[in-house]
Amino acid sequence: MNLRYVAGYAWFAGVHSVKENYPYLIAHLALPLSLIFIVGVLSHGALLPFALAGGTVMAIASDGAGTAQELTYLRLEYMYQDFIVATKTGPIDYMLGEIFAGLPWVTPSIILYFALDAVYGMLTLYNLVMTLIVSVLLVVSVSSLAFLLSSRMKHARLIGPYSLIFSYAMTVLPPTFYPFNYLPRWLVTTLAVFPTTPAAVLEQGFFGLEPTAWYMLGILALEALVYFAMARSFTRWREK
Amino acid sequence: MIEVKDISKRYGDGTVALGGVSFSIDKKITSIIGKNGAGKTTLLRILSTQLAPSSGTALINSHDLIKNADEIRKIIVSVPQEAKPIQYISASDFVRMYLSARGFGISEAKAAAEKALRKVGLWEFRDKLTAELSGGMKRKVFVATALASDADVIFLDEPTTGLDPFSRIEIWHAIKALRGQVILTTHYMEEAQALSDDVIMMDRGKILSKGSVNELLKGFDGLVRVEGRKRRKMAYKVGDVYVSYVDRRKAAKFINEGEIIRPIMLDDLFIKRGVNLES
Repeated sequence: MNLRYVAGYAWFAGVHSVKENYPYLIAHLALPLSLIFIVGVLSHGALLPFALAGGTVMAIASDGAGTAQELTYLRLEYMYQDFIVATKTGPIDYMLGEIFAGLPWVTPSIILYFALDAVYGMLTLYNLVMTLIVSVLLVVSVSSLAFLLSSRMKHARLIGPYSLIFSYAMTVLPPTFYPFNYLPRWLVTTLAVFPTTPAAVLEQGFFGLEPTAWYMLGILALEALVYFAMARSFTRWREK
Repeated sequence: MIEVKDISKRYGDGTVALGGVSFSIDKKITSIIGKNGAGKTTLLRILSTQLAPSSGTALINSHDLIKNADEIRKIIVSVPQEAKPIQYISASDFVRMYLSARGFGISEAKAAAEKALRKVGLWEFRDKLTAELSGGMKRKVFVATALASDADVIFLDEPTTGLDPFSRIEIWHAIKALRGQVILTTHYMEEAQALSDDVIMMDRGKILSKGSVNELLKGFDGLVRVEGRKRRKMAYKVGDVYVSYVDRRKAAKFINEGEIIRPIMLDDLFIKRGVNLES
């Protein structure tokens, strides 16, 4: 593993570039905050705790859609992947670099949700720690899916609609801002294929809004492993 | 030293991009020339481990392309055709980021990037986002990465395509400053002539000729190229134009007939072999 590349890419493309590209920080907040606003207004505040509990999940999923776009453009428009293929850096280093470079963009959103949770009296040390654990597993699974998706794109323009579909499938369909028991059990099970579903169900449990469905932690961990392995095996890195 | 052994490439749709090419490269700068679709980029991508060949192999500084690809990646730099530096980071950060991919430490990368950026004349623009640099400067960022990496073998695919004449000359000088062995593709004949110790001519996935510019152009000694609409004896048709080769001392009279006189260049080798570069 080339940790120097992971650290170098995360620093230069992540931390270092945030100051030049701050509008993206706001963009990262746009979808989750909009959904919180709509849910809050439509439910007269009743479902606001659910939307807040699912806020970090939505922020990470939105970032994943951005990652898919970024990786596609790096490969097809900048030829950056080809440039890196001819070094000792491998596909996993490349993906980890992108994951860590994405953290500075998504971290302010996560901090904002924790702040809102605190304002609404929902934040405890327990749900803070558990949210961080869920976030790590979610970042790995969502980024792996984004990497897989981007590597299948033949033209850069195609990633536009696919990343939108990816984003909606990850954020709007799963119970990220409403109680998961609103859905029939079979649908929750079906939607569990999107890692945001087990993550959102777990968050609702950790915040005391629903009983904690611990088996969802197993599903999320399994998805992180399987999607990561799929990204490693099926991603087009060096062309055949 | 690069030794290519019967490399072929057939894509999934049946297109044969390379039909079993063999040659060796031992000079400092070698250009691969040919029209679009000749197989130049495919060959370069295979040699730089970006694309797997269908058959055959190559030895790059004694490392086998198939068996020791990881060893090869430690000693090469490959700049793809139409590569652009990531636009939201600075020129200096881009070079340092690339050096991290090659395993350079932080201070080592910083020093190497500074030295390279100074050498290619980009030091004063080091903190500018690459999006704000001109096309020539963007290409120079890549030459700086190659320079900073101090690689033994550097592959450059069409390094000056789309650049203005002045930027091209700057890039040529930057390429000449590279320490390692350089293999570049180009369809600019004057570029190949200006830069190369050796030239490889390709057409339809095959090698037509290989040698120094002087060796390749030996048969044209004392001749100039005459282009015009008028068909002459022993003329070659290139698009709508007829090209013939005449004694330099007799060339003046053709100017009076409205024809264009040009010195001999590498593309004349293609014309004589019936390869229409414009097709």
